[in-house]
Amino acid sequence: MAKKGFFSTLKRALSEVTYGAALHGQVSAVLKTRMYIEHMFILMILGDMLGFPILPPYYSLRLLPYAVPNVKAWKHRFYRERDFTDVVYG
Amino acid sequence: MAIFAGKGGLGKTTCSAALAYAAAQTGRRVLCFSTDPQASLSDIFERDIFGKGEVEVVENLHVVEIDADAKINAYIKDVKLKIKEMYRMDEIPAEIEAYIDSSVAEPAMYESATYDAMADYVSGGGYNLYVFDMPPFGHGVRMLTMAEVLTSWVEKLTEVRKMAQEYDEVARKLRGEKLGKEDEILKELSDIRNKLTTFTDIMRDRRKSAFFMVMTPEMMSVYDTEKALEAFKAIGVSPAGIILNKIYPAEMADNPSPYIANKYRQQQSVLKVIREKFGDLVVAAIPMFPKEPKGLTGIKEVAKHLVDGVTAAW
Repeated sequence: MAKKGFFSTLKRALSEVTYGAALHGQVSAVLKTRMYIEHMFILMILGDMLGFPILPPYYSLRLLPYAVPNVKAWKHRFYRERDFTDVVYG
Repeated sequence: MAIFAGKGGLGKTTCSAALAYAAAQTGRRVLCFSTDPQASLSDIFERDIFGKGEVEVVENLHVVEIDADAKINAYIKDVKLKIKEMYRMDEIPAEIEAYIDSSVAEPAMYESATYDAMADYVSGGGYNLYVFDMPPFGHGVRMLTMAEVLTSWVEKLTEVRKMAQEYDEVARKLRGEKLGKEDEILKELSDIRNKLTTFTDIMRDRRKSAFFMVMTPEMMSVYDTEKALEAFKAIGVSPAGIILNKIYPAEMADNPSPYIANKYRQQQSVLKVIREKFGDLVVAAIPMFPKEPKGLTGIKEVAKHLVDGVTAAW
């Protein structure tokens, strides 16, 4: 039982090391792009929250509940001041 | 689908009610829907139907006078409830709540809610004919262009959402996780798109829908109709016909009062202009009645002229 536990822990550790070494960077990049897309999506439905009136809010309100958890981060990113490091680090 | 457009006060609602009545008499199941904020179907049918949903006034003829404000309020309540239920919140975050409440005050909300109700009825089926009495502002052109804009907006949103989902899948695969559940937003978007496209497809199909302009023999109405026809042409819609309303009876010419006789002569000269400008487009000519055509008797009378088409009077 203990042996099996040891091997499964080893297997998990190895897979985590492999993931960290080979894939974590890629996953982060994918998730970052995913965040940009999410923010573009929120802009398309809630643009007028920031002063971009895109369309009458009738159908936007139907989609609003799904965007609620991301609104704060989205506004934060939009309102954030930018400098040259943003160009370098994205 | 039959759509009546034109300036306010020319008889759009009366014509809509009359056509709906005539069609219902032939055994078709008809829905007459007034999108006009100053709707007067209640007045015409002499029954309070405002905000009461589909009301059957005579056999096969159902009328709707939408209470857009009530619809918006109910909708807003639903949205708030959904947020609370989805995230098990007692209170909605202040900025979100403020945003929802401020959107109610937008004038475009009224139009959108009305438009959504129209699309709901048409995509829901259940009637052989839908008669829409359009709002007077912008000749209802905005209502039609709204369909195009909304559809392309929904298409774009779907595209962005699908892209986001693809990235989700890639991230999941790289992490060795299982496939995620179907995106709820995509389901909502597809719902909205289906409703809108069913409606716009019918509206764009000349075999399924007809646009009628209602006008009166006055120069102001002539200029206005010309502008409206241009606006419709610009969005690729050609009217099925023009309905001329409130034509004075010939006996007015011999009236001893110079005021009345002159009114008649003036209208005759405008009718000449209408003949030159719109000619064959005029499909029906409705006389000026001695009293307002109200109630079923009044509607029946207007319907007769509408169905008879252009007569000698024209």
